Amino acid sequence: MVTKTEETQLNRLENQVDNGGGGAWDYVCLVRKLKVRRSEKVLKHGLSILNDPKQRSTLGNEEWTLYEQVAVAAMDCQSLDVAKDCTKVLRKRFPESKRVGRLEAMLLEAKGSWELAEKAYTSLLEDNPLDQTIHKRRVAMAKAQGNISVAIEWLNKYLETFMADHDAWRELAEIYVSLQMYKQAAFCYEELILSQPTVPLYHLAYADVLYTLGGLENLQTAKKYYASAIDLTGGKNTRALFGICLCTSAITQLTKGKNKEDKEGSQLQSLAAKVLEKEYKQRAPDKLPQLTTALKSLTLSS
Amino acid sequence: MGLGFVVGFIGLLILFHAAYSTIQYRGLLKITEEEFSGPPLNVVIEVTLGLVLCMWAALTVPGKFLSIHPDSEENRIVSLPANLDFMIFNHRYKVFPVELDVKLKH
Repeated sequence: MVTKTEETQLNRLENQVDNGGGGAWDYVCLVRKLKVRRSEKVLKHGLSILNDPKQRSTLGNEEWTLYEQVAVAAMDCQSLDVAKDCTKVLRKRFPESKRVGRLEAMLLEAKGSWELAEKAYTSLLEDNPLDQTIHKRRVAMAKAQGNISVAIEWLNKYLETFMADHDAWRELAEIYVSLQMYKQAAFCYEELILSQPTVPLYHLAYADVLYTLGGLENLQTAKKYYASAIDLTGGKNTRALFGICLCTSAITQLTKGKNKEDKEGSQLQSLAAKVLEKEYKQRAPDKLPQLTTALKSLTLSS
Repeated sequence: MGLGFVVGFIGLLILFHAAYSTIQYRGLLKITEEEFSGPPLNVVIEVTLGLVLCMWAALTVPGKFLSIHPDSEENRIVSLPANLDFMIFNHRYKVFPVELDVKLKH
């Protein structure tokens, strides 16, 4: 999870390194720690460190991690020569390493030779059938080739063994949402919320999926999860506030004939509407009239 | 921070002195064969003073406290990590013009 302080630190370092100040090694380490995908910058600055023999010698053993990181960034930026050179250097240094073998298979994948990469991955898996990263790379390759159903099947099989891998659950949820299989996506998001209950983004995504599914029960659960997202972010998440307004109006529309819990729902909606108006007044005052008309139409249509 | 250390040290000395005087007081009671009902008043005052000084030192010496609210401005989650294990390489960056001096030079 990238917090605000970490993001500002990353941006500051990026600016500093881009404008010629030092700190390339710190930047590359921070990118690796936060697991962000800034391949262009990593490639440029990582190469500037590696091409400079003085800086390279000050790194010591960390040099090889940098080679690996630059190789992956080069593959992402389609500079396959750089990636090949880095992999060759790593292979010379670690001739029997499976990690380098994985990198070489990734290079084949980046080149587009899917069958060779598949063969390489299966041979690596024979030596080491419990390697998580190789399983995930196979899923990614299936997704890249367009075989989404195969990717889903493999990912499900992977998750049967490694149930605690929340990155994989997130990936599966996103694939299901892209295929509009919302019930299964809701299950994946439930697993994510179970394992990491304090991340408000998962609550928000789950509530979105439930709201898309529709139906009275799903809408009520969606409202609860929008409320929990608001709770976790201290009331600052605009999307969750909108979610509450929309959910309440949809629920009242569905339960038009049955006069149950009228007061409680509308109180929450009016509170959310007030907070929304205050925020818009503060941050985007020229959009405030549009917001008020939209909110009015929501309460009127219910 | 130096002041914090000094104050903490003084607080600890006061506590040790209080402990020593309580032991002496008990020895005195054993000689006069009275019961040990409670420490004398000056020991109680010393112990409270030592407590206050040590607590103040413990709070100031370690430095600035970090925020623990998950929704404070510096702790809030801005984005999830990019799921790099599932990264695919056949995206549209292929059609970008290649930069010239991107090469590993040895």
